[in-house]
Amino acid sequence: MLSAGELEILSTSFQVALLALLWSLPLAIGCAFILSRQFPGKFTLDGLVHLPVILPPVLTGFLLLLLFGRHGPIGAWLERVAGIHLVFTRGGAALATAVMTFPLLVRTIRVAFEAMDPRLFEAAALLRARPLDRFVTIALPLAGPGILAGAVTAFAAGMGEFGAVITFAANIPGQTQTLPLAIYAVLQQPGGEAQALRLAAISFTLAMSGLVGAELLQRWMRRRLAR
Amino acid sequence: MKALDVDVKIARGAFRLAVNFTAPADGITVLFGPSGSGKSSLLSAIAGLIKCEGTIRLGPQALDGSNVHLPPHERGLGMVFQDARLFPHLTARQNIAYAWRRAPADRRPRIDDTARFFDIVSALDRPVGNLSGGEKSRVALARALAAAPDFLLLDEPFAALDGRRRRAFIDVLLRMHRGFHLPMLVVTHDIDDAAALASHLVAIRSGQVVAKGPFDRAAGDPAFASLLDPRDSGAAVPSLLLHSHHEEGRRHLWLRADHIVLATERPNAISTRNILEGSIQSVRREPEGSCLVELKSSVGVLLARVTAEAVEELALTEGRRAWALVKAHAL
Repeated sequence: MLSAGELEILSTSFQVALLALLWSLPLAIGCAFILSRQFPGKFTLDGLVHLPVILPPVLTGFLLLLLFGRHGPIGAWLERVAGIHLVFTRGGAALATAVMTFPLLVRTIRVAFEAMDPRLFEAAALLRARPLDRFVTIALPLAGPGILAGAVTAFAAGMGEFGAVITFAANIPGQTQTLPLAIYAVLQQPGGEAQALRLAAISFTLAMSGLVGAELLQRWMRRRLAR
Repeated sequence: MKALDVDVKIARGAFRLAVNFTAPADGITVLFGPSGSGKSSLLSAIAGLIKCEGTIRLGPQALDGSNVHLPPHERGLGMVFQDARLFPHLTARQNIAYAWRRAPADRRPRIDDTARFFDIVSALDRPVGNLSGGEKSRVALARALAAAPDFLLLDEPFAALDGRRRRAFIDVLLRMHRGFHLPMLVVTHDIDDAAALASHLVAIRSGQVVAKGPFDRAAGDPAFASLLDPRDSGAAVPSLLLHSHHEEGRRHLWLRADHIVLATERPNAISTRNILEGSIQSVRREPEGSCLVELKSSVGVLLARVTAEAVEELALTEGRRAWALVKAHAL
């Protein structure tokens, strides 16, 4: 079974991925909805959202350090206003994970919004529903399966983020050492291959369950909607 | 009850529309025109779904004006679309309740009463994906009514229905209009539907009004006749005056010129039950060689299409007495 050390690594991974998802989901839903419609500047926003995909993860981590570091514009402000440190903390690992999984999340949810018939909004508007009301009562429930699938996929992917996390939050056991970071750490030690394989197996199992889980959830919700 | 005053211009690409009409507060106004005439765009503009210039007023309130552009949800208008546009994640009852919850509390009808009125009680708790076409359109009507609109816009709501279900739907619309005193503006390109529903008519072609006013008068306007397919040439007759087997409550029947046979003596021993006597007002030659004969009868002016030879042989001339035989399937 799993050792205490492995359980700690798993727990760190879960917490980082969950925190990252909670932070990024509302923003991702908003971005995905905006991107599913036509507006000036759509191309620019689309590019910005996808930036973490095309940048090397180390560079993303470095940019986060520049922005959220103690002397970075956002980091300094956060420390002054709320006393929050992000660099080399679990919160920092979650932030880096959130930024890296954001494009994946937005993409999945956006497909769900685009599949929705926009004429249903017109129908709702002529039943006296205001714009926010229409979004909450029509768009969100109809995109529900896509949002759920996106969340599960992003959570699974979030447990495996490496480059940006290690750059921004370092590799501190019990704090920021998630599964991939732990694998990297044991591989640095002589004779760590066996331990690395165990961790790799855990990581693989989690990732696969995430994918299968997302697919099953989506099917289940589709069936419920189609009833 | 509020009348709808419309005086707008719409420009979309190369298409230009400029119309001016009033849909009265106590009737059903039919917006009639061939496809591409701009009638659906006009309805969308009235609903606030697309931009237009000019003024739209509902009773004393300006919906669109020099400094006013009310969004669709603040106009107090209801709309029924070509496709029912029911919310697929809700049941029929939840669809109706969606409108009901957002309607002014003192004016909205109870959902169960509405369901009985539209004969959808057994459909209420089914997901909308399981409803038949007729049920869907009736749920859409019930939902629109539950929002307690001041005026109801309908965009070819029978387009998806055929034959018997279409006629049933028109009867429901007429009952709804009378039962709830709800003024309506209905878009259609079907002359039979228009005649059955309309108290008033606004006919448009290429973005311009060609005829408007009370239906009897506007439908007799030669400019309106030019809108119709030659096969649809005819005249409106108040349906109460004919022994129609259609349900009562229809306003007019459209009697097609092709469905009327003319005789210069009172025919006996004939199966046609509807024989109307009148005097010939005019004989017009059509480009195809046939002639349209206008006959003033006790139920109004009728149009009959006859061949040029028949006009000669029977000596159909102005002032001559004639009998119109209306084929039963036209009624």
